[in-house]
Amino acid sequence: MKAGILLLNMCFPVLAGLMMLQGKREYTGKKLARRSLAAMVIAACFLVWNLTGDPLSLHLCSLGKDLPVYFHVDAIGKLFASVVTLVWILAICFAGEYMKKEQDQKRFFGFFLIVYGVLMGLCYAGNLITFYLFYEMMTLTTVPLVLHTRTREAITAGMKYLLYSLSGAYLVLFSTYMLNRYTTSLDFTPGGTLDLAAAEGHTTLILVCACLMILGFGVKAGMFPMHGWLSTAHPVAPAPASAVLSGVIVKMGVLGAIRVVYEIIGPEVIRGTWVQTVWLTLSLITVFMGSMLAYREKILKKRLAYSTVSQISYILFGLALLQPQALTGSLLHVVFHACIKSCLFLCAGAVIFCTGKTRTDQLTGIGKEMPVTIWCYTIASLALTGIPPASGFISKWYLAEGALSSGTSVFAVLGPVVLLISALLTAGYLLPVSMKGFLPGKEFDYAHLIRKEANLAMLIPVSMLSLLALLLGIFCGPLVQYVEKIVEVML
Amino acid sequence: MAFVQNVPFFSIILSMFSGIVSSVLPEKQAKWLNTAVITLVGAMSAWLLSYLLEVGGSFTFMMGHFPAPWGNEIRAGALEALMALIFSIIMLLSLLGGRKKLKDEVEITKHNIYYILTDLLLSSLLALIYTNDLFTAYVFVEINTISACGLIMIRQNGRTIEAAVRYMIMSLLGSGLLLMGICMLYDLTGHLLMSNIKESVQQIMAEGSYRVPMLITIGLITVGLSIKSALFPFHAWLPDAYGYSTVSSAAMLSSLVSKGYIFLLIKIFYRVIGIDIIRNSNILNVLFVFGLCAMIFGSVSAIWENDIRRMISFSSVAQIGYIYMGFGLGTEAGMVASVFHILMHAATKSMLFISAIGLTDVSNGSRHFAELTGSGYRNKIAGIGFTVGSLSMVGIPCFAGFVSKILFAQAAVANNAPVKIFPTVIVLAISTILNAVYFLKTVIRIYVPEDPAFEKQQGYLFFQISRQKLYGLTIICFIALNLVLGMMSQPIVHIIEIGLQNFS
Amino acid sequence: MSQYWMTVAILLPIIGGILVKVIPFPNQKIMKIYLECVMVVTSLLVFLLAWNRPEGTLEVVHFMQGLSISFRIDGMSMVFSVLIAVLWPLAMLYSFEYMEREQHQRVFFLFYSVTYGVTLGIAYASDMLSMYFFYELLTLVTVPLIMHSLSRQAIHATRKYLYYSLGGAAFALIGIVFLMVYGSQLDFVLGGVLDLAKAGEKKQVLLVVYLIACLGFGVKAAMFPMGSWLPDAGVAPTPVTALLHAVAVVKAGVFAIIRLTYYSFGTDFLRGTWVQAVVMALAMFSVVYGCTRAVMERHIKRRLAYSTISNLSYIIFSAMIMTPLGLVGALTHMVCHAVMKICSFLCAGAIMHQTGKTFIDDLNGYAKKMPVVFGCFLVSALGLMGVPGLAGFISKWNIAQAAVDSGRVQAYLGIGCLLISAFLTSIYMMSIVFRAYFPGKEFHYEELGEIRDPSWRMCVPLVLFAAGVAGLGLGSAPLVRFFTDVANGLY
Repeated sequence: MKAGILLLNMCFPVLAGLMMLQGKREYTGKKLARRSLAAMVIAACFLVWNLTGDPLSLHLCSLGKDLPVYFHVDAIGKLFASVVTLVWILAICFAGEYMKKEQDQKRFFGFFLIVYGVLMGLCYAGNLITFYLFYEMMTLTTVPLVLHTRTREAITAGMKYLLYSLSGAYLVLFSTYMLNRYTTSLDFTPGGTLDLAAAEGHTTLILVCACLMILGFGVKAGMFPMHGWLSTAHPVAPAPASAVLSGVIVKMGVLGAIRVVYEIIGPEVIRGTWVQTVWLTLSLITVFMGSMLAYREKILKKRLAYSTVSQISYILFGLALLQPQALTGSLLHVVFHACIKSCLFLCAGAVIFCTGKTRTDQLTGIGKEMPVTIWCYTIASLALTGIPPASGFISKWYLAEGALSSGTSVFAVLGPVVLLISALLTAGYLLPVSMKGFLPGKEFDYAHLIRKEANLAMLIPVSMLSLLALLLGIFCGPLVQYVEKIVEVML
Repeated sequence: MAFVQNVPFFSIILSMFSGIVSSVLPEKQAKWLNTAVITLVGAMSAWLLSYLLEVGGSFTFMMGHFPAPWGNEIRAGALEALMALIFSIIMLLSLLGGRKKLKDEVEITKHNIYYILTDLLLSSLLALIYTNDLFTAYVFVEINTISACGLIMIRQNGRTIEAAVRYMIMSLLGSGLLLMGICMLYDLTGHLLMSNIKESVQQIMAEGSYRVPMLITIGLITVGLSIKSALFPFHAWLPDAYGYSTVSSAAMLSSLVSKGYIFLLIKIFYRVIGIDIIRNSNILNVLFVFGLCAMIFGSVSAIWENDIRRMISFSSVAQIGYIYMGFGLGTEAGMVASVFHILMHAATKSMLFISAIGLTDVSNGSRHFAELTGSGYRNKIAGIGFTVGSLSMVGIPCFAGFVSKILFAQAAVANNAPVKIFPTVIVLAISTILNAVYFLKTVIRIYVPEDPAFEKQQGYLFFQISRQKLYGLTIICFIALNLVLGMMSQPIVHIIEIGLQNFS
Repeated sequence: MSQYWMTVAILLPIIGGILVKVIPFPNQKIMKIYLECVMVVTSLLVFLLAWNRPEGTLEVVHFMQGLSISFRIDGMSMVFSVLIAVLWPLAMLYSFEYMEREQHQRVFFLFYSVTYGVTLGIAYASDMLSMYFFYELLTLVTVPLIMHSLSRQAIHATRKYLYYSLGGAAFALIGIVFLMVYGSQLDFVLGGVLDLAKAGEKKQVLLVVYLIACLGFGVKAAMFPMGSWLPDAGVAPTPVTALLHAVAVVKAGVFAIIRLTYYSFGTDFLRGTWVQAVVMALAMFSVVYGCTRAVMERHIKRRLAYSTISNLSYIIFSAMIMTPLGLVGALTHMVCHAVMKICSFLCAGAIMHQTGKTFIDDLNGYAKKMPVVFGCFLVSALGLMGVPGLAGFISKWNIAQAAVDSGRVQAYLGIGCLLISAFLTSIYMMSIVFRAYFPGKEFHYEELGEIRDPSWRMCVPLVLFAAGVAGLGLGSAPLVRFFTDVANGLY
């Protein structure tokens, strides 16, 4: 029974999406939106069912000899799955209104649902093969979302996204081939499954594989130097898609890194080696670089995309430290950033939808035109910057603490410094929009002001997300406890 | 002394006699006599072969009552009988296949002469095969040359006369060198009978005297016969001679005449000088290199040709190179391969010439490739014959050419000197590719259908089998012969091996 | 089952094909039904023979000492013969509709049928010489097929094919002759037939000879630099390119290389020598070269031809690992690639047949008009890229496992080449898919005109092959087990 629900959690959205794609008649946008929302709610119910109860395993089938498709619902999986579902429901609600101005809505909603199902599969994946299977599927099914508008720019961005993602996937595959020989099994087991006897004498090879894995997943997570696709792909997608791409899908790269480093290779293998150093360096570079690029970027959605690049590398930095508090901080930031970034993107989407303005220099006085939206934006920005008591502060605190007590010589100090600088930059690139928006200055044309507030369907998700960004920080207790339990098992 | 042992003598005499008689007979009877004699010779050779295989060994037949060392001797073994048999079959088929063309191209009054020449050619070939003394050999070499020239010239136009003259000059040069060699040999050894000469030569070489003259003698004889058999670089006369004469002549010349000289050379190597001495000298290495060059050069020249018959003639140059390469390998296996190749080439080349003439006939007599497009459909039997011949030349398994290629390759590989293995196999492979280029290119061309309107405009005739039954029958016999050599080569190779063992 | 059935299986399509020209059929339809029946009956016979293997060798024709044409069914024969038996009837069905507008149909079908018999001859050959005979014959009977359109380009391509193939076979013959002298027999025995006492003294010579023979067979297997005939052969009608130059002819080439390596010279003799390194390096180079040229090529069939060159070298690379696992990998890819490539080529043919377009740049938007064709093309593209769940992933996995297991560093680099190739494959295949499905915002679908999917005779094979790609991706375990048995000498 439980196995059935597990499968349904994954298959139902996929089937619903496929049915939507195949539907011959041109559905009106409203119908599509309502149906999608209904499907999501049902799927969410399945999820909730899965979350309660003991951990569940399911061996579905085998792709070939030694290639089992295996699902295992553990604590991390549940965490990621919940975040995904939450963001997804809100995004679909938003999309119902937003997509009124776009064409090919059938395709959009269809793939939107399918991607959700695939992501569920990814979260529940119990071994590396299953993870890789769903990872590839995720790449393939998100491409239509990226190039949805079918402008020249979008199609190029879609191709770029596809190729970057595939190259990352192939790096992962290469390492998988190697690790298959040197591990006892490819199932995700906390502490790693490395067969030490077989690995004897092949340490360099295993370290190289670990590095390639990290780089491979780092492509999806936008780590330098593989971040190039993010700033082209995320902005060009329709806003709801951008929200989930930035908020959730990049987290799958993070999930991959966690699974591989902590549950296949094992943290002890790479602790203190050049692999860890490289990882730490690259993530710090990305943190800084992402913020810098965001600061200089004028197009709002692109700015938010660069922000994602930077923020995800916070998470990666925390993972690389291989330290309990840092890991706690990373996982917390996964949740928080998901909420915050989705909120920010949806706000940007609302602005585009209501006013058509895309550049930050056009946004003077936007706060007067769309107050609620911009208030939500502001709250989310504050959270991201790390102002207490908003959520971002909690995760950054844990990260900094973890860095200081991590035992890595340079990074212990360098880490928090970079984080701090980046926080300043974050404020610098996010807050001016709010400030200019609410306080446009003397030259603003107050006479011709029209209030173009967003629709309720759009406002609800945005406000809910921003509230979450705030409240999760204030009432972080239960969440932190949950995460700390996970971390205990891992490390 | 069994009656069958008279066969060699009868064969030679019969052909000579029929030649003389043909001069007074009307054309039709001459033709019948000719055909009958060749068939009879073939049958007798077959009988002799079966006898020799049963009895084993070879026998000598004294001509006249002059004993050695003054008289003439004939010697027959399994190898000689086999050669005689195959040669007569091919001569018969060549004549039958080219009969209609003969009618078209040569005046009716000259036909007699043609048949006389053919009979003389047969007799001289048989003599070269069977003789056991050098002087007779030389005499019949000359007769061979003259009849060959006549055969070229029988079709009188400017080209053939020029070709015949060129042929004569080169041939006589070769004969001259041969004669000088024979004279020197006689001088050194004092004998003309081959077996006697051999004993002398062994003695001379053992003593170590006359080393240099011996070497020069061998050299002269070899070069002389090489010129006559068109080994590179003495091949210049060949394409013209084969290219322009009437088709039966071309078939016979390419298949038989040059092979007769090669056979004589083999005989001299084995029976006169002694194969061991030859192997110790460097003459074989020289032949080897020239053989390889011929293989490449002949094929390359064939690729550049635009005239189908000249192309086939250049192919002959390459094939003769194969034979000399086989000699050059210096092993028994190499010799066997060369002899088999003689037979294979005789069978295939004549088929190619006869088929080619069929194809050109339905293209208004033009021999240029552009006009031959689609001729495979206009003359189906010639097309098939040409295809089979080409596939054999390229070396597709099941056809005769493959067997000889394998024999050469095996002989090369089993050879202990690695310096000869790789050049041989690589040149064999390259030669296959080159053969494929020009032969299969032509096969493709003749099977690309031509626009029917164009065909009508050009006035191309279509071949009708009912009118030329003999031609069709000839081609079918050739194909059968090729397939027999290809698929049932084992007994033939066996005979050659036995024959060579008893040859010296 | 009696041994004579092998001869029947080979002769049936040959005679059946010749009869096509001879029998005066009242109309085309009856001729086609007759042909399809011949194909199906032969295939059924082949399946029966594989199921109920006759023991021992059947000598059909005896040439001379030690040289004969004989047949025997061993493991490799079963794999190859069943593969082509599955593909030929479907390809014939496809060609019925495709060739409807062509001339000289009878000659075409005659040689198409005869080629089937000849290829079976290669599969059933029990020794090197028999295989060589059918190998040469294969070259000859495929000549009229390539030449079919009789255009200048076709004749030029035919000549190139002919010279290359015959040249390759001529060099391979050198190897055969050496085997005759230095081997105990010419028969195929797993582990090789070299007389080690004799061969030991001449090892270097024999290694050079092996290289020559391998390169000779490598002409048909389109290894760099001898493979340039393959793209030119794309000028032939699609059923020819698809079946012959993606499946039968080129697979005969790799089949011959495998026979030469594993069953004639023997892997114990060759493993660890410089020859293994050289041929493996050439294969690796071809893998990358083929894909690179494919990316640059704009003509559909030429692009797929270069893809074939690359994929064939996967098989050769795997075979060069010279372990049983390597053989398993080679056989897996032989089968998987055959199905994927024939699917792609037939799709390309369907596109050319329905739209008349031959260049990639003209394919914008056609996916909407021809959903079945492009759907199958998408499946085959994903398969070639190595997406899990489809055939390509399985075969790449098996090859990688063999490479990792061998422990050779060159093999690891080989895996890298495979993945680079996978990446390039995604570029050149997905660019077609993108164009077809997402043509650009301003694209007017009306420009395409009245284009539809082809009739069932072309669509059914396409769909079946696409299903095959998926089926092999999900259910390859029994097949791989069978290959492992073959590689370990159980058949």
